[in-house]
Formats: sequence, structure tokens, C-alpha cells
Amino acid sequence: MSIVPKETIEVIAQSIGINNLSPDVALALAPDVEYRMREIMQEAVKCMRHSKRTTLTAEDVDGALNLRNVEPIYGFASGGPLRFKRAIGHRDLFYIDDKDVDLKDVIEAPLPKAPLDAAILCHWLAIEGVQPAIPENASVEVITAPSNVKDHEQKDDGLPVDIKLPVKHILSRELQLYFDKITELTMSRSDSVLFKQALVSLATDSGLHPLVPYFTYFIADEVSHGLSDYSLLFALMRVVRSLLQNPHIHIEPYLHQLMPSVVTCLVAKRLGNRFADDHWELRDFTANLVASICKRFGHVYNNLQTRLTKTLLNAFLDPKRSLTQQYGAIQGLAALGPNVVRILILPNLEPYMRLLEPEMLLEKQKNEMKRNEAWRVYGALLHAAGQCIYDLLKMFPPLTSLPAHAVWRSNARVTTTVPNKRKESMEHLGEQPPHKKTATDGPILPVFTNSSPSHMEGISVVPVPGDSNIGPSSSSGQTPNEIVDGRGKRDKGDKQALKKSALLNQIWKNDLDSGHLLVSLLELFGEGILSFIPAPEMSLFL
Amino acid sequence: MEEDQLEKFVVAYLKKKGFKQAEHAFQEELQQHQSKNNSSSSISTNSITDPDFAKHLLSFSEFESVVARYQDGYSKLRSWTYSSLDLYKHELLRVLYPVFIHCFMDLVVKGHIQGARTFFNSFREDHEMMHSRDLQKLEGVLSPSHLEEMEFAHSLRHSKVKIKICQYTYELLLQYLHKTQLTIMLGIINEHINFQVSPGQPISISDDTEVVTLIGSSQDEATQINQKEIQWGLLEDSLEERLEKSGVLLSDSEKAEGETKEGELDENKKRSVEGGKQGTSTKKLKKDKAASAMGKTGRPEANAVITAPRVKPELALPVISTEVEKSILEDLRNRVQLSSVSLPSVNFYTFINTHNGLNCSSISHDGSLVAGGFSDSSLKVWDMAKLGQEAVGSVLQGENDTTSSEYVLGSNGGKRSYTLFQGHSGPVYSATFSPLGDFLLSSSADSTVRLWSTTMNANLVCYKGHNYPVWDVQFSPLGHYFASASHDRTARIWSMDRIQPLRIMAGHLSDVDCVQWHVNCNYIATGSSDKTVRLWDVQSGECVRIFIGHRSMVLSLAMSSDGRYMASGDEDGAIMMWDLSSGRCVTPLMGHTSCVWSLAFSCEGSLLASGSADCTVKLWDVTASTKVPKTEENKSGNTNRLRSLRTLPTKSSPVYALRFSRRNLLFAAGVLSKSV
Repeated sequence: MSIVPKETIEVIAQSIGINNLSPDVALALAPDVEYRMREIMQEAVKCMRHSKRTTLTAEDVDGALNLRNVEPIYGFASGGPLRFKRAIGHRDLFYIDDKDVDLKDVIEAPLPKAPLDAAILCHWLAIEGVQPAIPENASVEVITAPSNVKDHEQKDDGLPVDIKLPVKHILSRELQLYFDKITELTMSRSDSVLFKQALVSLATDSGLHPLVPYFTYFIADEVSHGLSDYSLLFALMRVVRSLLQNPHIHIEPYLHQLMPSVVTCLVAKRLGNRFADDHWELRDFTANLVASICKRFGHVYNNLQTRLTKTLLNAFLDPKRSLTQQYGAIQGLAALGPNVVRILILPNLEPYMRLLEPEMLLEKQKNEMKRNEAWRVYGALLHAAGQCIYDLLKMFPPLTSLPAHAVWRSNARVTTTVPNKRKESMEHLGEQPPHKKTATDGPILPVFTNSSPSHMEGISVVPVPGDSNIGPSSSSGQTPNEIVDGRGKRDKGDKQALKKSALLNQIWKNDLDSGHLLVSLLELFGEGILSFIPAPEMSLFL
Repeated sequence: MEEDQLEKFVVAYLKKKGFKQAEHAFQEELQQHQSKNNSSSSISTNSITDPDFAKHLLSFSEFESVVARYQDGYSKLRSWTYSSLDLYKHELLRVLYPVFIHCFMDLVVKGHIQGARTFFNSFREDHEMMHSRDLQKLEGVLSPSHLEEMEFAHSLRHSKVKIKICQYTYELLLQYLHKTQLTIMLGIINEHINFQVSPGQPISISDDTEVVTLIGSSQDEATQINQKEIQWGLLEDSLEERLEKSGVLLSDSEKAEGETKEGELDENKKRSVEGGKQGTSTKKLKKDKAASAMGKTGRPEANAVITAPRVKPELALPVISTEVEKSILEDLRNRVQLSSVSLPSVNFYTFINTHNGLNCSSISHDGSLVAGGFSDSSLKVWDMAKLGQEAVGSVLQGENDTTSSEYVLGSNGGKRSYTLFQGHSGPVYSATFSPLGDFLLSSSADSTVRLWSTTMNANLVCYKGHNYPVWDVQFSPLGHYFASASHDRTARIWSMDRIQPLRIMAGHLSDVDCVQWHVNCNYIATGSSDKTVRLWDVQSGECVRIFIGHRSMVLSLAMSSDGRYMASGDEDGAIMMWDLSSGRCVTPLMGHTSCVWSLAFSCEGSLLASGSADCTVKLWDVTASTKVPKTEENKSGNTNRLRSLRTLPTKSSPVYALRFSRRNLLFAAGVLSKSV
């Protein structure tokens, strides 16, 4: 009948010690309780109005109870809205979540900040009926610049009620010492055993996070100043690698500070000033570092890799850049994976080679140093292109295992590969720079032995239009034969093994592209490229 | 014959109630009785042959279906009303609400609580828009005792509603009720509605000022009260008048004018009496006023025509010192003339960091002092002349150069930007500055009013008299006297030098929420939660006007400076403009969407400013809206809405207080609230 059910009355009666309340009494009381409650709420609304508010608060209800000479209900005037929780097992029974507060905690807690004292600000709401467009007024359609300085002042000290105080970064004494020690080691004794231990510590210790901003700043600072100091740069890069390796460090927010210094170490014109400095090694090292950064944070910052490749490509394609820079760029791109190589390097390979060729020849380039550099670049290119072509060809399993091949394709996964092929690839890897070898891990994923970004593999089936363009244009009369050969053989093989797979066309196309690619590469690099091609495929194409 | 009938009733009743055994027993007995009857003579019959008794039994048998009959009757009447011709529909619709209310209350009285509930809920929506507050109140009524206890319901049951209706509509209604034999509805209408049948055409729909508002007090009484004459004229010998009369020669004007004043005074008196008696004669005066206002803009001396009637003060008024007088006159001379084309400048004081604790705010007449009353019982006063020196610079200086020398910021000038007044023991609900700004009054939930000195920064007097929270307090326009309004349903008049109230105004049926002085100090107006505004004679303490029309509690009041009009704002955002002499609503002003906290007339009465909880200040054109009903008073006015000139939105700050300075600069105060 009333919105207060008689059960409520019974429960309340029990709670104040009346156990034998007859149901009739409860039934009679319930409507009256509702009436009284409505009365009190109406009084509370009155109190609210006189407090010039439009939201009812617990204070208003207390005020209303006071008006009726009833003791107010204590304990609800704590400001925040009450949080009701649903009682488990009941659909419409709620209770207020009363947390246990440890008195000790309350006593020991530091005093909260004193609330800001009330104040009055003054502004013109309207001047002769027109509202001036100042920040204190509600925004009109057009927001014009504040009329004068005074408005600024008022806004600053007035409207933002909660003021943010500058955050003080507190660094413990130990961390400061640690930081000093590491920087000192990096700066002066980067070849010592101690430094190696320091790197390990950087890579594994937890609790270093407060130092990360300091380290990034230190690295950026030192790289910009110490470009001529090879050992320092190398040490810094090692520090970067260690920091990246550390699982306890959340380095993402500082990447934007770190990346420029790292890329500098990759494509700077000069790294180190002594002849003996093996800056090639540093560049290789940094290239791997960059690649690993891309791999790790590429999915968080989508534009990280695009921005990086853009920078590198610029360095690579600009003929005015020195060969060292170009070397760095090529290495960086190559480290990003064969896919990047194929999209970005291979299309530009032919014109580039034309430029590079004169530099390599003894008669054209007298400078021993330059010639050496040119050969280095050539080697890097060869390596990149070779890896790319290897990667492409690697996807074609031997003819005998076509079904397996189909499965692998349809799953688009890299996990199943033919073991004998991998073994061969391992042999060819002998030519590769030493650090590549170190990167070789378990035999299960041969992909990792060749290139770092494994996730690119899945999409490498997509034909590259650039290749097919180059193919016909560069290939001489003999190439069509080969292609026809290859296609013919494959055709037969496929037709024998598979009937009419939807995948066939794509595979053929791929084959065609690879064929073109291989031919063009052959032209450019000569026999050098052949070492990258696995034996079965080689027999297929040649 | 009749006995047979009776027996049938009894059998039917027993059957209905399911008393089978009793029925059997009854029939057995009946047979026995009949057999006996046959033998003996028919003596027994004469004992129960009263026809009334049979009727009574009949109604008794129908007891169960009372709820259904009410519901049925009302819904029939309702559907008939809704399907009636548009011409008469709105008049008939007015009848529905009182019928609905009384049906509900009848059901409650008869004890059909459950039935009353379902009846109420099924038709509630029809009236939700117009009478939601009443419905909320009545919703809680669940037993007959509640009806007795609740004053609103009680007075509704014991008074008749007056409804204006045209002849033809009236006949239509009666015909329908008779034809369909809706006796219950007919009964209710007869019992609780008093029709004022007027010949001729039905009243147009737009004239919704006449809409039925159910208030507790009987409306006959209200009309009777409103017959009383009031003298709404301005005070004679006021400073404004003197300024107009004397122009430049101020210092010794009093002596020089001594004799001329006498003559004029009589004339004034006469006019004022006229003006009070009937609104028609004042029309001419009003026109004069408008004319003179035109001329006045150029010359203050062009006052051959006295604008409003002058009245003698009924109270002994305080004497104003000459320096103060001079400064006021200076202000008056520098007053900006406002009209619909020249709008005022508005200076806004924003309270910040009040942590939801600010209950009220008040601005002194010159705008230099701002007081805030807080729910933590404190009262804080800011001296804006000191505080905002660079911010408001020249204007404020100009405004308060006369008085600033008197203010001492107090000992705490260094740290705090305000003076803290502590003394109350409950939330401070209202504060008011004396006209000269040297005193401050505050009222609180602790049922006291306190007087503070802003020059000494001390509490001077504590006025105890109310028994419940004092919602509002207002200084009279000339100081010394003040009025307070309280939850105890009274308004009281006090003077600063006595701790007992001089008058107690009792009559409101609910809290008195706001109070305002008439400009001539002879009347006060009070707004109440019973949805009426009343005007009281200060001298006699009698109620002289009841203004009925608001649909929710009245929150703010303002008196026009010519003493003729009064504006009142309510909880729903409606503002009503009243003609004091006739007691009629001139224009309802719709525009605000939330509570109207504050109202202020500009000094020459051409503009009305309203501040609301919807974070706007609105400016209304008074001259345009009051002139209209004058020319076409006999209600053909769709146009008689007060014209809204400008809406000034604030930046999420509900407007708590408004004040026109003597130079017609508008000051507004509000609190910055984060989420609005």
C-alpha cells in the first residue's frame, strides 16, 4: 500500500528491541512512516532552497529534522555522495559501504592541505548591456583575445580552483650515487670489466626507473657533444641497449628523447676521429638496436617505424650524403627486415649501383679510404639484397613437399619449415657479419636468423609492383627463357601435386616476381648474390 | 412489499460477503418466521418499514464499489471535457483539477487508501505540469488522520475554490452531470467549487493568469482583503523629491521650502488617496510619470508635474545627516538613465572556494561591501573598494568615494581579504546592509537576527523573537527599521534600538520565505511557501493584499521605485509583476528555468533585473510591459508579457544577489559552482 513495506517496519522494530510487534501495528505504521518521511523531505527541500542550492544534501535533511525537533542523523554529512552497495543474494537490498578505518592510520596521516579560503573576484558581466568577451564570462560565439593584462591576472588567481603545485622529484642518495658511478664509467672506462658488469646491472636491476629521465638526458647530451669520441658513443649505445633490455623499466615515455641520439649514431657523417675507430661496427650495432626498438615499440607508436625509415631512406637516397651515412642507412633498413629492404632498397638499387660503381673501381676513385667505404657500402647492399632474396625464396619449399607448403601458406604461420632448407641457410650465413650470428637462436624459427621483425613474414607473399617493373626493363634477352623455364617446371609440379588450388595463382605470381628479382640482382651483383640462394631453389632457377 | 425488498437486500448482502452459513440460517429463520407470520398477524412488519432504512441498506450494499464509482465518474467527466469544443474546453479543464483533488481526498476520508492511490496515480499526469508541487504534497496522504494534520489538505477541504466560468459553459457542465447522473461528481462540484458565472463569451485561453491555483486560504477572504485601500505613493519629502524640487540649492532648501511644501502636501495627499482607492485614476498619473520621465533626462528641475502621489510616513523615520544626504544627492544627480535602449552595466562578484557553503549574499547600496552568509554560521564581509582596487578601479572609487573613509578593514587586513563575523550558531540564511552601509543584519537558522557594525567589525545586538529559522531579513529603505521572515509563519518588524519586535505579521499558511519593504516604508511584502505574496500595513500590522498566482514557493521580491509595482519570483523560475493597488498580476514573466533567487528594479523603475539558479541575469523592460495593460486592461492581452531585453549568462555561477546602485550600476553576486 505504501512505499514502505511492513517488513521494513518489522526490521526496524527488531533493531530497537521490539520483538513481538504485531503485523497489524506494522501495517498501520507503514503509511504513517511514509507520510512523515515525505514531510521531512519537503522541509529539507525548503532548507535547500534557502541555502540557495538546487541539489539536496544530507545537511538539508539534518536541518529539516532540526526544524521538527528531531535529533539529526549523524554520520552522513561527510560531503561526498554515499555509495550504496547491493547486498549479495538480494535484488533490491542496498547498504552503505562503511569502511573500517584504522584509527592509527588516521592519526598518523599527514594533515591534509588546508582548503582554499573563500574569496571574491570581480568582473564586468556586461557594459551597457553588452557582454565583454573576457574569460570570466560564459563563452560567447567568438572568443576574442583577453582585453588586457588585468584579465589574465584574474583568471590565473581565480578560476582554476585547484592549483597544481610543481612536482618535486625526489631521488634517493643511493640512486644518485649509482647514477654518478655509471656515468663516470661510461665516460671514462668503458672498456673495463666493471663497465660490463654495470651494463648487466642496468639490464637487470629493478628500481632504476627514477633514473631513466636522467639517463636519457645524459645520453642525448653526450651523443650531441661527443660525436668524435668513438668509444664513448659505443659505450652509450651499450647503455641504451641495457636500458632497453631491463624489464623493470618503463622506457616508452622517454623514447622520443632517446631515438635521435641512437639514429645519430647510425647515420652520422663521422663517428670517432681516429682512423682505427671501427665505426662500421658501431653502425651495425646501432642498426640492430634501432630494429629492436622498432620491434618492441612499433605497435605502441605506429609512426615510429615510418618516421625512422623515412629518415633512413632520405640518407640513403641523397647522393650528396657521404658513403658512411649511406652505409648506416642501409644497415638500418636492412636490420628492419627483408620486407623493408624489398620495398625501399631494391627499387632504388639499380640507379644507386650506377653511382656506387665508379667509387669502387681503382681507376676511378684514387682515394683508398673512399674506395674502401664504397666497398663497404657495396657489401652492405649485397647483404641486404641477398637476405631479401633468400627470404623470398625460402618460402618455396622443395617441390616434393608441396602439400606441406600449402598448409603453411594457408595458416600464414612461420612455425613449420622444412629442416633441410634451414641447414643450408645456416651454411650461407657464414658470410654474414659476426653480430648476425650472435643473433641466431634456436633452430625452430629460422626467420630470426636472417631478419629481426618476424611479424613481417606473414605478409611477404604480397607481390611488389616495383620488382616487376624493374625486371622487364633490366633483364636482357636471356631472362625470359629462364622465367619460362622456371614457370614451366613449377607449372608442371603444381599441376601434378595440387589440382586447382586458389592459392596457385598467387604462388605463380610470387615465383615470377622472385624470378625477376633474382635476375635483376644477378645483373647488379654478379655471382655474389647466388650464395644467398638455397640450393634447391637455385637448381630450380638456374 | 417492503419487507420482501428488505429481505432480498439482506440475502444479497450475505451472498456478496460470502456468509453462507449466515445466509442459510437467515433463510431458515425467514421461513419459520413466515410460517409464524401466517399464523399470527402481521405485527412484526411495522417495525422495519422505514424507507430511509431501506435506502441506507441499499447504499450499504454498494459499499464495495465506491472506488470504482469515483474512478468511473471522474474518468467520464474527464473524457467528456477533453472531447468538448475547444471554445469551452479550457474553462472546463479548470474544473477538473479541483474535482480530481477532492475525489482523492474523499476516497482517503472514506478509508479506501489503496483505491485512492490507484485513482491518484491513474490521473495524476493530467495535472503534473501545472500543479506538480501540490501533487507531491498530497501524494503522501495515506490516512484520514493525515488529511486532518496536513494544513494544506485541511484548508482545501474546508474552503471552496472559486472558478470563473462563462454562462454557457456552466450550463453545459451541469447538463452533462445531470444527464449522466454522475452524482458523485456533482456532489463534489457543489461542495467545493464556487462558480463565478459571467455572461458572455468564454475567457480566452491565453489569459492563464486566472488559472486555478489552490491555496489554503479562502479566496473570498482574499478578495475582501484586497478591497482595502492602500497608499502606494512615494514618501513625501524624500531625497529624490527634494532633488527634483530644489535642483542646486540644497543646503538650506528645507527652510526656504517650508511653506510651499505645506500647500503641495495637501494636494499630494489628495492624489495619493485617490491613487490608492482605484487604479483608474492613477492611470492619468502614470501617463504623467512617463511624460515626466522623458523630460527628466535632460533637466532635473523639469518637475512641475509630480510623478507619483506622496504619502506621509506612518513611522517615525530616522534623520539623515547632512553629509550623507549630500552624497546621496550627488549620486542621484549622476544617475544614469536606463531604458530599453540604454542598458545598465553589470558588475559581477564571483565567490570562489566556498565549498558549497555559501547560503546568501548581499551587496551594499554603493556596491563597495559584499557580505556572504555561510552554512558554517559565519558571515564574511569583503570590502571591494580595497580588494578590487586595480580590478574595478575607477568605477568603484567613484561609487564609494563618499563612504570609503569610514571603513576600516580591521585587524586582519593583512592575511584575510575579508572581515569575519562570528556569532551565529546555525547557517546564515540572509544578510542585509543598511542604506548607508554602516550596519549589517544577518538572520540564521538559530532563530536570531544579529546586528553588526561594519565600522567597528563587531556584533552589536542579537534580536531574539522568532522560534524557528529566520529565512530572510531586510532593512527598510531608510534604515533603522527592519523586517524578518521566518519558518514560524510570521514576519516581524523590528527597530534597531529595541530587542522586541514592534509588529508581528501572522497569516501565512506556511513559511514566510522572503520579505521586502515598500519604498515608502509603510508596507512590507512577504512571500511564502503557501504560494502567495501578502502585503502588510506596518502601522496596523494588518494584511492589506493577498496576491495569488504563483505555483510554487516565492523566493524573491522587489518593489518598484515608484511604489506602484511589485515583482515576485518563485521556485519554478516564474516572475510575476503585480499592481499593488488592484492586487492583480500585471504580467507573468517566463524565461528562467530555475529558482529566481533575486530581483531588483532599477532606480527609476524602468528595468527589472532577475538573477536565477540557471546562471543567468535577465533584464526585463518594465515600462513597456506595464503600459500595455493600461491601454487594454480588459484582457485581450496576449501581448502583456513583460519583454525580456537581455539575457546575460554567467560562467556557471548561479546569481544570488542583485543590487542597483544609486547611480544605476547593477551589481550581481554569485558563487562559482563547478558543475552546472
